[in-house]
Amino acid sequence: MCASVKYNIRGPALIPRMKTKHRIYYITLFSIVLLGLIATGMFQFWPHSIESSSDWSVQKRSIRDVPVVRLPADSPVPERGDLSCRMHTCFDVYRCGFNPKNKIKVYIYSLKKYVDDAGVPVSSTISQEYNELLTAVADSDYYTEDIARACLFIPSIDLLNQNALRVKETAQALAQLSRWDRGTNHLLFNMLPGGPPDYNTALDVPRDRALLAGGGFSTWTYRQGYDVSIPVYSPLSAEVDLPEKGPGPRRYFLLSSQMALHPEYREELAALQARHGEAVLVLDKCTNLSEGIPAARKRCHKHQVFDYPQVLQEATFCVVLRGARLGQAVLSDVLRAGCIPVIIADSYILPFSEVLDWKRASVAVPEEKMSDVHGILQSIPQRQIEEMQRQKWGSVSNPLFLPLIPPQSQGFTAIVLTYDRVESLFRVITEVSKVPSLSKLLVVWNNQNKNPPEDSLWPKIRVPLKVVRTAENKLSNRFFPYDEIETEAVLAIDDDIIMLTSDELQFGYEVWREFPDRLVGYPGRLHLWDHEMSKWKYESEWTNEVSMVLTGAAFYHKYFNYLYTYKMPGDIKNWVDAHMNCEDIAMNFLVANVTGKAVIKVTPRKKFKCPECTAIDGLSLDQTHMVERSECINKFASVFGTMPLKVVEHRADPVLYKDDFPEKLKSFPNIGSL
Amino acid sequence: MQSWRRKSLWLALLASWLLVLLGLFPLLRLAVPTSPRAGAPQGWPRWLDAELLQSFAKPGELLEDGPRPPQALRGGSCNWGACFDTSKCRGGGLKVFVYPAAGPVSETRRKILASVEGSRYHTLSAAEACLLLLLSPDTSTGECDPVPPQWDGGRNHLVLSLHPAPCPRTFQLGQAMVAEASPTVDTFRPGFDVALPLLPEAHPLRGGVPGQLRQHSPRPGVALLALAEDGGRWHVAGTDFSACPWDGRCEQDRGPKQTHPGATLPNATFCLIPGRGPDVLHFLQALQAGCIPVLLSPRWELPFSEVIDWTKAAIVADERLPLQVLTALQEMPLTRVLALRQQTQFLWDAYFSSVEKVIHTTLEIIQDRIFGPSAHPSLLWNSPPGAILALPTFSPSPSDFPFYHLQQGSRPLGRFSALIWAGALGQPPLKLIQAVAGSEHCAQILVLWSSEKPPPTGWPKTAVPLTVIDGHRKVSDRFFPYSAISTDAILSLDAHSSLSTSEVDFAFVVWQSFPERMVGFLTWSHFWDEARGGWGYTAKRTNEFSMVLTSAAFYHRYYHTLFTHALPKALRTLADEAPTCVDVLMNFLVASVTKLPPIKVPYGMWHQEARPPPLEPGGPGLRQEPQPAAQNCINQMAAGFGHMPLVSSRLRLDPVLFKDPVSVLRKKYRSLEKP
Repeated sequence: MCASVKYNIRGPALIPRMKTKHRIYYITLFSIVLLGLIATGMFQFWPHSIESSSDWSVQKRSIRDVPVVRLPADSPVPERGDLSCRMHTCFDVYRCGFNPKNKIKVYIYSLKKYVDDAGVPVSSTISQEYNELLTAVADSDYYTEDIARACLFIPSIDLLNQNALRVKETAQALAQLSRWDRGTNHLLFNMLPGGPPDYNTALDVPRDRALLAGGGFSTWTYRQGYDVSIPVYSPLSAEVDLPEKGPGPRRYFLLSSQMALHPEYREELAALQARHGEAVLVLDKCTNLSEGIPAARKRCHKHQVFDYPQVLQEATFCVVLRGARLGQAVLSDVLRAGCIPVIIADSYILPFSEVLDWKRASVAVPEEKMSDVHGILQSIPQRQIEEMQRQKWGSVSNPLFLPLIPPQSQGFTAIVLTYDRVESLFRVITEVSKVPSLSKLLVVWNNQNKNPPEDSLWPKIRVPLKVVRTAENKLSNRFFPYDEIETEAVLAIDDDIIMLTSDELQFGYEVWREFPDRLVGYPGRLHLWDHEMSKWKYESEWTNEVSMVLTGAAFYHKYFNYLYTYKMPGDIKNWVDAHMNCEDIAMNFLVANVTGKAVIKVTPRKKFKCPECTAIDGLSLDQTHMVERSECINKFASVFGTMPLKVVEHRADPVLYKDDFPEKLKSFPNIGSL
Repeated sequence: MQSWRRKSLWLALLASWLLVLLGLFPLLRLAVPTSPRAGAPQGWPRWLDAELLQSFAKPGELLEDGPRPPQALRGGSCNWGACFDTSKCRGGGLKVFVYPAAGPVSETRRKILASVEGSRYHTLSAAEACLLLLLSPDTSTGECDPVPPQWDGGRNHLVLSLHPAPCPRTFQLGQAMVAEASPTVDTFRPGFDVALPLLPEAHPLRGGVPGQLRQHSPRPGVALLALAEDGGRWHVAGTDFSACPWDGRCEQDRGPKQTHPGATLPNATFCLIPGRGPDVLHFLQALQAGCIPVLLSPRWELPFSEVIDWTKAAIVADERLPLQVLTALQEMPLTRVLALRQQTQFLWDAYFSSVEKVIHTTLEIIQDRIFGPSAHPSLLWNSPPGAILALPTFSPSPSDFPFYHLQQGSRPLGRFSALIWAGALGQPPLKLIQAVAGSEHCAQILVLWSSEKPPPTGWPKTAVPLTVIDGHRKVSDRFFPYSAISTDAILSLDAHSSLSTSEVDFAFVVWQSFPERMVGFLTWSHFWDEARGGWGYTAKRTNEFSMVLTSAAFYHRYYHTLFTHALPKALRTLADEAPTCVDVLMNFLVASVTKLPPIKVPYGMWHQEARPPPLEPGGPGLRQEPQPAAQNCINQMAAGFGHMPLVSSRLRLDPVLFKDPVSVLRKKYRSLEKP
């Protein structure tokens, strides 16, 4: 029945295909740029939700009405980019301290049209893409219109394409911005840097200390931990709806779709195609297209015509070769088509490389190895290729992942939840106090109408005993992370559990030490799928399997108290308090969901005999109880969105349990009954 | 709108991916949402003519950017593609030659040499090597090395120095890579140079002191902060950290002061480490102590930053924001504190605790660069047991390893291969084969024939395929990664072992819950023998155990790869010479990877009586008391590993209804309970 150990593959695919407003593209871009800046030095702390908060009235104006600014020919030009800039040398972090909680505020300069002395424009006022980017930033929570409170400044001067602007005059325009101050805390965006003949890999506009989010950085121009590499936006595939393709072999092994390639590269590719035949497809511009067909959307191989970017979906690997620029828009097309990019561009800083592990989703091949590219790709096992295509990641990250056996000397804290059964409570206290590893006893007094007994009446025990009074009679109180708990191990125990032997409890603690990330308890229970009713069922029969333990007596890490109190999903906590039942099932769900692991049942114990309540524990009550417990399982499974419980067939016993061995030599001779 | 949807695809992905990251440091909640003043025109205008705006690039401009010939290497700067010749590494993969030292050898240097020589990449021939390792002269020799013979402009050379060089190099670095302790970020060439940790002089060669963290969560009341001070000391600030104890900015109230002498490890949740030079030693101390390093604007590259994701173990903060940093630390959610603390310990133990680990990590990074796409995925570097113990040659897919099933949402394959090691043997072990083949989980039986005599004929017909493999008559051969092993689980057996089908079935089901551990039937336990001043072990039945015998045990096939390719040859030879030692060695190996004890499952005592005495003297027997030579073995193993990795357990996993006074008909594994 091991097959019932259930694993869930959760987590979104690396490339989710979601319906989003176009603004999200830009706010995402901007958010990642900020993260890139932050990941490497300025401040690792960051607000955890990035949201758009628009919906207020904005002014509506025409671009033609923006004010014109005349730049005198001799107005100052900023220094060239300072390559030694780092966050701690060139970034003024104090400007970011105005707002509570270090929230970064961004100011956008208002749009102006810059002209030179002769009245000739310095650049086109603003491009469609830059306008959308700025709109997205302005609509976000980062935006401030108060320049005095801003931490980052974004000029409205459009630098996306260096070819579309005049370098010196644009620099002059930057220098006259009201808070320019050598470009400190100014963030510039550029996707197409450089220009003929050199094609520099970073924007040539002198920008002094300004931060640059640029497409096509090389290792020589990229200021690690200061600049951010962004992808070159491709309008091409953005206009086409590409269906999602699952992993698996594709028609072509390797595809090259770029049109403007250097003849040397094209020769190499042609040679590859000649050697490997059908598996490699090298496409080029189409020469004889009829009128009216957009050339950018077609690729040709000899006389065969292919639709672009759809053809990218036919290949396992797609070549992304450097052109004049390192950053190629084709990379975006290739990623969107679900083809694995083979990046042949030495020294290229891949987009967001500070925060993304490109090894998982791409293959980098040095330029000089280009002729071997087929062999290199062939050597990648199919399994790995599929993983690159799939891009799934982690489903569970256990919060207590370090293999560690806590020292026995630490001991455990017993927490007894009680209402008014004082006599039974005192017996439990006396019994539990006999357990050698007990280090403290905490009584949670859940009765607001009655005071706990006077100090003198309590049993005298060898460890500290504390009484905590609660404000409300809630079951959740037993799982509260009380400050009084100083040990990692917690023993939750009901005020009527008097049947557990000292050996049984001590052994339970030692088992917990070997499995500190699990719930370690005594009677085990099971969840089952009821095929007739198509829902989950609670099972307390004595079966060969367990998936839960009762928390009437159970050891667990106190961290789970914190999780139960503060991180329990949905309305489960309220449900439990309202029904006065199922707090143990909720705890089982919580621990299994966060660790991905099963419980450990210890010793043969099957039930907690409750002497006082046997009389009323009749059959009918029992059935109501089972129905209610089943309801809880179904409710929790729907809140968690999954069934996290794991079924196992084992329990833990002492090494020599029931072995033919002298009882007095056994560490835990009195392990109790069913 | 349709088009924008497409556009958002992969960036939105990055976002969701990053949001997961962000979830880890949600230190600062968004403040009150900006409340707009109604009516007043503000924000970025909605342009009435926005539709008329031009695209930033002309149609075709993105495709047609003028081509240019491949770029020639720029003088002075090197990167991996340009300056390292991987063609030399074809075939045998990474082979490392280390230049012999001229003159007296310092202690540090001796440790480095021993580490390189103990590495699986080491070669004695400079001609065969694809990486030549040049050790920088260190303090005690005082002599500067001349240009090495095979220098060739530094091509394929790695110049390694654990401590700052006392004398300037007499030659140009050329195309050589540099591996040095705490390089400044200004000169460090990412992806080419290797950033090492700054090790104290007395750092152990191998093994090393384990991390100091004894519990997952911080003890209540432990100091929040310790601040690194000159001279390797720590200033422990109390939980009252309204005083910001650095930069002299808020000196007036430094809280309860407590200065530790010498190199005592800090006892606090966070360790503040100024980012300037001499404090880098503090970094390793904090890591070892499980004190989360808070680096204040570090000017140096973090060690092994190429592969280690430091955001999971340390915090980089701006030293100019003392109050914000303190507030953020104070408000850090428990979940993140827990994760960071544990990661410090994992990293310390996997990559830093000994000179050998530091050197092997360095070589592993170079090997990964050579492997390119087949290198360790980031997950293998950044989760236990770490990249040195997770060999990428085993499989490109993390789900094939026993360690990552939780993260991958995968599970081990549902069947096992029985591997029966047979020495001198007259008859095939019929009963054993039948018992094993009777298990519904058994995929195949492999008999490893390890005797001079040819294998007997007349193997029984079984429901599962049975293959006889010719072994090489060495005991260590039983742990060779035979390609015939097609399942994740191996049931390792001796021809003399005796097992029942239900024992096999139950043990396998247990193993599926613990695929990274060994699950066995018979156990040994180790102990510290005060009288002899060494380790000993016993087969006597006790209340605890730390080893399971490989004559009947389930484990993951990955351990065969690790045993054969990662263990030092000397240890394997030792096992061949004293065959009972092989059990000790396998248990050492698995324990050093998992840091956990093996698992014991019930074993019928009737097997013992039924079992014939072992025919082969010294063969891995079922329950014989280790001989004195074997007692020595455990000490040699402990020396070879540099520490004692075995961990004891006090429990046995039994079927849920095991020996319970309930109807036998209820029980799934009823035949386990024979008297």
